Amino acid sequence: MKLKALFLPLISLLLGLGVALLIAAILGESPLKVLSVMIQGAVGSPTAVGYSLYYATPLLFTGMSVAWAFRAGLFNIGGEGQMALGGLTMSAVGILASDLPSWVGIPLALFFSFIVGGLWGAFAGWIKAKRGCHEVLSTILLNFVAFGLVGFFISNVFKNPDSQVPETKAVGLGFVIPSLPNWIGGSSPLSWALLLGFLFLCLFSFVMERTRLGFYQRMVGGAQGLALRAGINTNRQIILAMFISGGLAALAASGPVLGFALKTREGFTANAGFVGVAVALLGGNKPLGILFSSLLFGALTKGALDLDLDTQYVSRDLALVIQALIVIAVASQAGLLQLFDRFMKRATT
Amino acid sequence: MIWDILLSTLRLSIPLVFAAYGGLLSERSGVANIALECNLLVSAFVAAAVTTLTGHLILGIFAGIFASAFIAGLFALICVWGRGDQIVVGTGFNLLAIGLIPVICKAIFGIGGSTPSLPSELTLHRVWPFLLLAIVVLFLYEFLFRSTRHGLRIDAAGECPEALMTQGVNYKWVRVRSVVEGGLITGIGGVYLSICQGSGFVREMSAGRGFIALAALIFGAWKPIPTFAACLFFAFTDAIQIQLQGKELWNFPIPNQFIQIFPYLATLFVLVVVKRKISAPSAINRA
Repeated sequence: MKLKALFLPLISLLLGLGVALLIAAILGESPLKVLSVMIQGAVGSPTAVGYSLYYATPLLFTGMSVAWAFRAGLFNIGGEGQMALGGLTMSAVGILASDLPSWVGIPLALFFSFIVGGLWGAFAGWIKAKRGCHEVLSTILLNFVAFGLVGFFISNVFKNPDSQVPETKAVGLGFVIPSLPNWIGGSSPLSWALLLGFLFLCLFSFVMERTRLGFYQRMVGGAQGLALRAGINTNRQIILAMFISGGLAALAASGPVLGFALKTREGFTANAGFVGVAVALLGGNKPLGILFSSLLFGALTKGALDLDLDTQYVSRDLALVIQALIVIAVASQAGLLQLFDRFMKRATT
Repeated sequence: MIWDILLSTLRLSIPLVFAAYGGLLSERSGVANIALECNLLVSAFVAAAVTTLTGHLILGIFAGIFASAFIAGLFALICVWGRGDQIVVGTGFNLLAIGLIPVICKAIFGIGGSTPSLPSELTLHRVWPFLLLAIVVLFLYEFLFRSTRHGLRIDAAGECPEALMTQGVNYKWVRVRSVVEGGLITGIGGVYLSICQGSGFVREMSAGRGFIALAALIFGAWKPIPTFAACLFFAFTDAIQIQLQGKELWNFPIPNQFIQIFPYLATLFVLVVVKRKISAPSAINRA
């Protein structure tokens, strides 16, 4: 059983990577070259490793966000919008209360960002619980609304007057999450937000596995009928699950906004919300799995960036292709397993 | 002004109607199709790319439609035999379209994301053939579900696959067939986007229309005529959005971002106000 638990994600990973490399080969690029460029780009130098970890930081949060919803039987693909709103909230708090010292400022920004992202998610949860509309549809539509709102606030309310591109003013000094020392991340923008991610991962694990809240959430996700008969208010649990999920997605902005850019730009989420789906699925919605898969996908994202420059025919979007294929492969586990069993049976008889 | 809005409503309804109709066929057979967005993008891209490469519009149109059917077929096979959650698989396909199209685009045209703009003689300028086709498909659907065996089987596959099995019909193939047929229909909407409404493919040009079409399908209770009406309504909100751009309300300019999110807000509003009836196919998303 343990072996199978490891085997399936591995097969999915290989499938995704294999098919993507095959596509690269069809397009006229040598798969070996693609692979070597990506590995070199992801872990070739201390700075490269630092960048990989930097890209892994938001994925850690969005992965947790999707996984939390999954465990409660929900599918939150609104991470993009929730993260964008989270970043905007961090900027807003950091601009409006720019004089606060670090020990108040950062927690305050994180707190408000969690609340705003959470409420945005909870709205989708409310639609699901009270109106029966599938959360995938509502969260996707809410993404577009969130992008519009964030765009409005960036280019009107908190606009940086000195910049040509639409972006907010910089946050106060008390809101900057410090970088990690150079011997870890080279000259990359890697910050303590990564450690914050690890902290939340432990928290995720504890609350999900060891508290009543986590138990109720898992029960609603795994056996809704049972939960109903046990007297659990399932509607409330659904809304709560989407609240927590949305809040976690909002915190994904901590690395890029408070740890690096210090301002919110349009499109800073860079698909992290969607890649979170792949992170959660590949990690089996378990904390340790999320840790590994977010590191892997961070490296994948960083490695793929170099494809733009170092190859002629493929681009960085190949990372998204690999992630999409992994999502499809992991989702089809039941069928894959059946195929595998049949194959084994034929091999042994 | 009102005339303008009406005309633009009709124009904007075309991709929605075809996408919703593709989804209708797939969902009635029991495959939840969140991948409509993927179908739209793929057909829009392939139509524009093939037209650019060959210089033949007709070839491009058919290539786009068949590409959509192909990807729908892949989706159906994986859904039916992978036995995974169809929503998750569909999300994977949407991501795949977002990632794969720029990659292929770069390999062919050297730039990621968009195909070169098509010259005027290689785009369609008339909208009415599409509208006519939409109405033809509407009648076809009515006929299909009222009085053909295939239509009955689609509904059986979506409502109670076991019943079909007792008849000796494999519901899995019924599902694959109707998803592929749905892919063909959705493809028409995608082709319209890049060949008629625009001239060439632009990155993520479907802009969530696949999801709005899905909302229209829910709003229309999975029935052809109400779904058509729902698409018209959503297209109407989009038409208003376009009309409002750059306008002032009581001497106060409305921020552009607020106008742009109007169609999505309207869709959400409808989803919130209309309580989903039990009319969803009961075996949807069940292997």
